Amino acid sequence: MGSKWKNRIRTFRKYWDLLVELVKRDIKLKYRRSVLGYIWSVLNPLLIMVVMTVVFSAMFKKNIENYPIYLLTGRVLFEFMRMATQNGLKSVTNNASLLKKTYIPKYIFTLSKVTSTMIDSVFSLGAFFIVMIATRSAFHWTMLYLVIIIMQVYIFSLGLTFLLAALEVFFRDMEYIYHAFITAWMYLTPLFYPIENLPHLLQVIIKGFNPMYYYIAAFRDITLAGRMPGPRLVVGGWLWAFAALVLGLYVFQKKKDEFILHI
Amino acid sequence: MAENIIDVNHASIRFNLGNIKVDNLKEFTIRKIRHELTFQEFLALKDVDLHVKRGESWGLIGTNGSGKSTLLKMITGILKPYKGTVQVRGKIAPMIELGAGFDQELTARENIFLNGAVLGHSRRFMEEHFDEIVEFAELQRFLDSPIKNYSSGMKARLGFSVATMVNPEILICDEVLSVGDANFRRRCNARMQEMLSGGTTLLYVSHDIPSVIRLCDHVLWLDKGDVVMQGDPETVCNAYLEHQEKVYSYAQKEREDRQEIESGKVFDYLVVGAGLYGSVFANEACKAGKSAVVIDKRDHIGGNVYTSRRDNIDVHEYGAHIFHTSDKKVWEYVNQYAEFNHYINSPVARYKDELYNLPFNMNTFSKMWGLYTPEQVQAKIEEQRAEYIAQKKKERGLAPEEAFVPQNLEEQAISLAGTDIYEKLIREYTQKQWGRPCTELPAFIIRRLPLRFTYDNNYFNDRYQGIPIGGYTQMVEKLLSGVPVMTGIDYRTFAKKYAGKYRKVIYTGPIDEYFDYRLGHLQYRTVRFETEELDMPNFQGNAVVNYTGSEAPWTRIIEHKWFEFGKDLEGNDLPKTIISREYSTEWKPGMEPYYPVNDEANMKLYEQYKKLAEKEPGVLFGGRLGTYRYYNMDQVILQAWEMAEKELKTRILVGSVGKK
Repeated sequence: MGSKWKNRIRTFRKYWDLLVELVKRDIKLKYRRSVLGYIWSVLNPLLIMVVMTVVFSAMFKKNIENYPIYLLTGRVLFEFMRMATQNGLKSVTNNASLLKKTYIPKYIFTLSKVTSTMIDSVFSLGAFFIVMIATRSAFHWTMLYLVIIIMQVYIFSLGLTFLLAALEVFFRDMEYIYHAFITAWMYLTPLFYPIENLPHLLQVIIKGFNPMYYYIAAFRDITLAGRMPGPRLVVGGWLWAFAALVLGLYVFQKKKDEFILHI
Repeated sequence: MAENIIDVNHASIRFNLGNIKVDNLKEFTIRKIRHELTFQEFLALKDVDLHVKRGESWGLIGTNGSGKSTLLKMITGILKPYKGTVQVRGKIAPMIELGAGFDQELTARENIFLNGAVLGHSRRFMEEHFDEIVEFAELQRFLDSPIKNYSSGMKARLGFSVATMVNPEILICDEVLSVGDANFRRRCNARMQEMLSGGTTLLYVSHDIPSVIRLCDHVLWLDKGDVVMQGDPETVCNAYLEHQEKVYSYAQKEREDRQEIESGKVFDYLVVGAGLYGSVFANEACKAGKSAVVIDKRDHIGGNVYTSRRDNIDVHEYGAHIFHTSDKKVWEYVNQYAEFNHYINSPVARYKDELYNLPFNMNTFSKMWGLYTPEQVQAKIEEQRAEYIAQKKKERGLAPEEAFVPQNLEEQAISLAGTDIYEKLIREYTQKQWGRPCTELPAFIIRRLPLRFTYDNNYFNDRYQGIPIGGYTQMVEKLLSGVPVMTGIDYRTFAKKYAGKYRKVIYTGPIDEYFDYRLGHLQYRTVRFETEELDMPNFQGNAVVNYTGSEAPWTRIIEHKWFEFGKDLEGNDLPKTIISREYSTEWKPGMEPYYPVNDEANMKLYEQYKKLAEKEPGVLFGGRLGTYRYYNMDQVILQAWEMAEKELKTRILVGSVGKK
């Protein structure tokens, strides 16, 4: 048992450079393709924020005081998770030609996709800070906790992506099924509406079983309210993250030897 | 002796092929609900052995889909063997397929690092060797442009340079050097030679045979997952090319035949069934200046005499066929189409731990009773018979002078051969064959039991006996030369597709099938074969061994190589052997029909079908299945001649015995 793990760690270290190269490739290509480069990843959420603020802020004026920040806190985290899972879903199948030719630990591709998406998301936090400044919002020291939240979302997304990438190998329509699923998930996450507007039962369900709620609520606590998130959000956030990771890795590990027959 | 760097021991790779490729959840769910998900096993590699010593270079050859790449994948660790083991004692550097390791959008510089990382090299290592790689690939000028703008040759150069930057312990090269200009190819070859002399072990897959011969010192030839041959490059490659040539000419003939059938030509005869009967008839029809086309629903010619060559052994796929005849004309006829060896069928019988010669002759009796003269043996048998008959008469209340009429097979057999022979060589064997005890079988199955009072193990009494050297398929091929043949098509399909393209039908399939079983099914006795390849030169020391005891579930085992004395066509000993265990199985409609059951009920049914057949315009029925009678091969030929003489109004002419 011990040597098995030693072996795994040795393999991981051997392919660490590959992981770095793959992440670098994703980031480079993303910003090389467009003229605006980095500006684009800031501009995009800004534009959407402006449009949505114009449309929705009047609607929810009573409940939400700083609507642009409310909206962005939700969107930044949800987009991070969405992009990570959707990009990572095809991480195994897209590298079929390589996996067929040489032995590379298959998780490297999934790990690199989620990691590069995380880095990209951290970059796009620029938009968030611009809006903070523009709306003259106060910067609280509690916002340092954001690092923890990003780690939680990263681990959660990683787990979910392992699961999806493994399923995608066997069922190529997983992509579309997941797309429908994540759209529904988005509407069931209080991104642009206050959760208090929902019927009580739905509120309970979302607060209990929507992992993204834990992260978004915590993010809003540290920015809008300037307080540390309560123990429920902290512990719950970690629990969801690791539950997803364990499940995802379990399925991925169990099925990985069969991948080659289906890609 | 150097240690092996790669050891592949009896490795098999199994794929589960779905009946239909299901790769999406929607279809999967639907089929799961309807229970339509069935999987078929497919062995991509079968029991492959490969032992590579450090510094050797091995070429893997074979057609597409023969398992070359699968073998490489198994050695690389991408695929795990389902049986057997693979051991690799060294670092593998795979030379990655064109473009596969590259990202089209990245520049060459970036790709070098990415590709290096894919091969497991560290960033620092890559930085150290960067200039070397660029220089070898001659891409200095284009380092910073995305490789999507590169030609395939440039990409190949880049791939080769990265892969061969260090002297890997094992280099795997799967058909990657076919691109690039002549100059680069020459340098690649030089680099490979350099690596080889530097101690690198090479596994090289290519369809370019000259390059295999040039680079490799050993060659392995795979076909459909089987190792056909391994050894010296020249020998193996030549055998491979020769085989390819043959396969090509088969395909070519098939195309030509199809063209001929599809042309406007109307054939005089459509012969259904490319077995011995159909082939002889078609051959005679052509000689008589008529045109014929032959079809068969199996995907090969020859019917049940078909032999296929595996590991240089001609395997009698549908049971042992030993040609024997007393008809000189038939013998000369078949010798025109094949060279026959001097094989004499002398089977042996295993009963528990005892072994007896067959057919029942002095060798058998002597072993059984320790007697030596025919007189002693005859007396012994007579004694056993008399005792049995006397006892039976007493049981039935018959007077000693009254005739004893056997009521079942047991009574028949003992009254002919005595108790010992019956017990050891007939009782359990017959029960296995018919699935019923001898007491429940009719007496007529054994009309007479030839007992030979000479020391003669020759099973047949005929004057001529032998097996065509190189198998029966070659003989049938020669019989059918010049006749268009279409295999893998049944009569119905052909008749629908090519209606009006033939004037008359010679039908050698089952007569009841022709009439859609409208009067019911004729019954057959069938056998099932389990064929196995064994990694030993000699399994049982004889082509045919009958297992007469009930301790073995099979009735006999055929060891095919002994039909041709265990030698290949050049006279070399064969290292492996192939055996077929033969099981008697109860026949059900849809199974392979072998022996017609000519009992009263079935013969009555056949007579009714025969009447229908006589009224069927333009269709003539022939052969074992067409006339529901078991024939030996010589009898089949005689039947076909009879039909040919009647139908074609010719006389069969054979060498010296042209006129009967």
